[in-house]
Amino acid sequence: MATTTDDKSEQTDTETGLELHRVALYGALLALVGAYLSPLYSGLTTAFKTQEAYRNTSPLQPPIEGVTIDPWLTAGSELAFAMVNSFAMVIPAAVLSALFGSLTAYGLTKVDWRGQVFVLVLFLAAVFIPYQAVLVPLRQFWSMVGLSQVHPRGELVELTITHIAYGIPICTILFRSYYQTLDSELIEAARLDGASLARIYRKIVLPLSLPMFAVTLIYQFTQVWNDFLFALVLLSNRSNYVVTLELNALQGSMATNYSVQMAGAFIAALPTILVYILFGEQFAKGQTL
Amino acid sequence: MLQATGAVGLAAFAGCLGGGSEAGNLDELLEDDPDEFEALEIGHWWTAGGEEAAFEALIEGFEAEYPDIEVDSSPSPGGAGSALETDIKNRVVDQNPPSTFQIWPGQALTEYTDEDLLYDIDGHVWNDEMREAYLDGPIDVSRPDGEFVAVPINIHRLNNLFYNVDVVEDADVDPESLESPSDLLEAMEAVDDAGFVGMAQQTQSAWSTMQLWAQVLLGEYGADVYDSFIEGDLEAVESEIRASLELVVEYSEYFNEDASSMNDWDDASDYINTGDAAFFHQGDWAAGQYEGEDDFEYGEDWDHVPFPGTDGMYALNMDSFVFPKHNPSPNATVRFLQYAGTTDAQERFNPHKGSIPPRTDVSDEAFTPFLQDQMADFEASTEQPPSVTHGLAVAPSIQTDVEGAFANFIDNWDVDETYDDLVSSFD
Amino acid sequence: MDSLRNSIKRLNPLSASDSDFFESMPFWLPATALVLLFVYGAIGWNVIISFTGWSGLGQPDYTNFTLEMYRQMPSDPNFMASLRNTVALLVAFTGVSLVVGLGLALLVDRKIRFESTFRTIYLLPMALSFVVTAIFWSWMYASNGLIDTMLNGIGLGWLSQDWLGDPRFKLAAVIVALIWQFSGYCMIVYLAGLRSIPNDHYEAARIDGASTLKLYWRIIIPQLRSSTVGATVVLMVFALKAFDFIYVMFGTNPGRSADILAVTMYREAFSSSEWAYGAAIAVVLFALALTIIGPYAYTQYKRGAL
Repeated sequence: MATTTDDKSEQTDTETGLELHRVALYGALLALVGAYLSPLYSGLTTAFKTQEAYRNTSPLQPPIEGVTIDPWLTAGSELAFAMVNSFAMVIPAAVLSALFGSLTAYGLTKVDWRGQVFVLVLFLAAVFIPYQAVLVPLRQFWSMVGLSQVHPRGELVELTITHIAYGIPICTILFRSYYQTLDSELIEAARLDGASLARIYRKIVLPLSLPMFAVTLIYQFTQVWNDFLFALVLLSNRSNYVVTLELNALQGSMATNYSVQMAGAFIAALPTILVYILFGEQFAKGQTL
Repeated sequence: MLQATGAVGLAAFAGCLGGGSEAGNLDELLEDDPDEFEALEIGHWWTAGGEEAAFEALIEGFEAEYPDIEVDSSPSPGGAGSALETDIKNRVVDQNPPSTFQIWPGQALTEYTDEDLLYDIDGHVWNDEMREAYLDGPIDVSRPDGEFVAVPINIHRLNNLFYNVDVVEDADVDPESLESPSDLLEAMEAVDDAGFVGMAQQTQSAWSTMQLWAQVLLGEYGADVYDSFIEGDLEAVESEIRASLELVVEYSEYFNEDASSMNDWDDASDYINTGDAAFFHQGDWAAGQYEGEDDFEYGEDWDHVPFPGTDGMYALNMDSFVFPKHNPSPNATVRFLQYAGTTDAQERFNPHKGSIPPRTDVSDEAFTPFLQDQMADFEASTEQPPSVTHGLAVAPSIQTDVEGAFANFIDNWDVDETYDDLVSSFD
Repeated sequence: MDSLRNSIKRLNPLSASDSDFFESMPFWLPATALVLLFVYGAIGWNVIISFTGWSGLGQPDYTNFTLEMYRQMPSDPNFMASLRNTVALLVAFTGVSLVVGLGLALLVDRKIRFESTFRTIYLLPMALSFVVTAIFWSWMYASNGLIDTMLNGIGLGWLSQDWLGDPRFKLAAVIVALIWQFSGYCMIVYLAGLRSIPNDHYEAARIDGASTLKLYWRIIIPQLRSSTVGATVVLMVFALKAFDFIYVMFGTNPGRSADILAVTMYREAFSSSEWAYGAAIAVVLFALALTIIGPYAYTQYKRGAL
């Protein structure tokens, strides 16, 4: 990430001011770490407390007396089937929208065609559309198609296809900006040798795209896993609930049991937190287009 | 241009795949003695505590009666039924409903009957024997448009006032002597002076206060004024509505201080258990919180009177089952609905649920002393006004708006604004 | 970049270009068709539904069109309140997030040790679902939650409030939680911007004897304009979508003090079955988004950034 080599801060620091200055800087940084982690911290301490301990101790206090993992077991057993549903939806959705995005960006970047910019403007706008603007027709559309009547899991397929369609624009934009930086000479040369577009994609572009696939897959995984609105509108059978929906239901039925709620929130967030910790750089790249 | 083409294309594509046709009445659909039954899928939101036990007891009874029918429970927890409502609506619009589902009877059904989505079950389920056993209020809400479309399974009473006996004695207040909601305000003042919370209440979600207001209106001005309200004739009773809202605002002075951060009625009802508050208004499901407490006896430590001014009334909140069209299992559904209307079903379900049976011929042996008293009150009641909070009294679109009006009311306690909101709810 | 410029230069319709077009179709057409159908087709369909007056559990009647849904908006106090709240949320959330994000970026950009750890922590909330953060924050705001506990702990107990119940604080409570979630995003946008400022700009200013403060104010901030614009667009879109958060915390009826258009839309359509009215509110929301996205997409297009 770092591109500048010069140090902007040290020059301003005189010999005597340096120490104090640095201390203040790290102080501020650490205070902010405290602020950013505090909701997670109070959630984590509470998730390990018995109801008794939760009532009698402050959320600041780590669980020392009255430690229990029961909230995790309760929340875990409530959320287990929904986690499975989420995975069943998110994996095909992320893979297919990334693949479509790559193909589309390739088709629109390395090929001469004047309409491509117009299509890209449509895609860019589609990234930012508030989903409320499509909810009613989406509901209508899927109810007419009626996959849910064909198979009990039909709703989940409907949701997956919807996520693929809505993931394509962002994936295309991400791949497009990446493909623009690719060396076009190699491709032009292959073209002159008479290679087909499909062959060029397979032999040259796809292998070069792997880092970008990591970025888009991580982006889509996080987006789709975290989605609540589409699931809320499209899923009506409890057995198809994805984890965000089931977590909301859990919160509703465990209204005052914060321990179970917090454990549930951590369980539901675990896959995205893991992905984030393992692939932080790619995650950041996806967010900044 | 592109968008329009896209829309037409999407609609046309979808149109090709639409659902099938459906029999116009049940005679064509049902077989007297089918070889086998499709699984019976029941949509409901009874997923916790006594509610869950009640539903299980009901299913157990049904399975004993009909061992050939497989029951597939399809719960939608959360949002006090709003999750189920949305799920069911989606599935009904998709022409893919469950076999039957839990729903408030009364006007809540009109959303379905307006589009002819429920079968008339007169004859197949409702018969003279059943009609005999039900009072007028429950019968009326089972046929909001004239045709019988629902079977009530339970009744919760709403016009209750629970109190902690020691606290009212300390404050020298006699709940039995309160004749109107205004009297109750004075009693709360006395309680407050004695150093207790006048009335325990939660005001984070709107429905508890909406329900409280409905009891105040009933108690202070009677069922006719209440009827004018639910029929949408608000102008005729404007001064009564304003005055009753005003009274609730005055009540709110005596609520527990943390009322607005409580999302749950049972947090508020705890103040009765702990002896911190004198009065508590809630549906009779609250009694379970006191009955479950050790050394806390009905009649000695906690007690109940009808909400002041509502003696002789039994304000109804009920659940029922219906027979949706495009039914996946007609032969199983009709048997379940018949069963839900029997004394056996209602005797199994209601003691766990903390409600009373809609049938008046159910033995009260299995019920707690509190519910036995309620059953006697019910049988003796002369009026059974339906709940506006629970969708019995007004159509769902109005009910949402009225609830919205109360969501604002608990925000700002502004009587004028709330009255205007209520008027526009009925537009 | 090059290929785009080249392709624009070579716009004359040569036969090679035509065959390119047809040969490339299998690559972009399926996805484009999906997007046209699901995104733009649905938006168009939504507009049509908003003119039908459709409500209840039946099907819409596409033969009678009316403007009634739009006409009733100005006299619907809930709609007006949620429109106001939506704008307030947009402005406050976006403004504060940008400032906080810039502050974080400036701190992190000072050659600190463990930079990537700090960055990771500040950006972490961004990886969480709204449902998860809403649950964490409802506990933060609870009467025995962390915020009031800490206020009591440092002797500021009188400041503690009923954050989620009191209409004066509801919307602000939502905004604070959203800022927590998205300021890290602003930080990485600004960091990328800061690091693309050429060094000689600093040197020149320093030779002129500019103080640190002036250096930031005169040189650095103006150079971050495009980062700011990009981040603003994204944040505003997030703000329009704050639905999940409010739904999980307050349900479909958050009361007039915290209602936003996204919630009102859902409530009208999916709770009250006032489909056409919900669709019309969605159109308003879409128009609002368009006033933000439109100019952005246009300038991106003009700059050749696509």
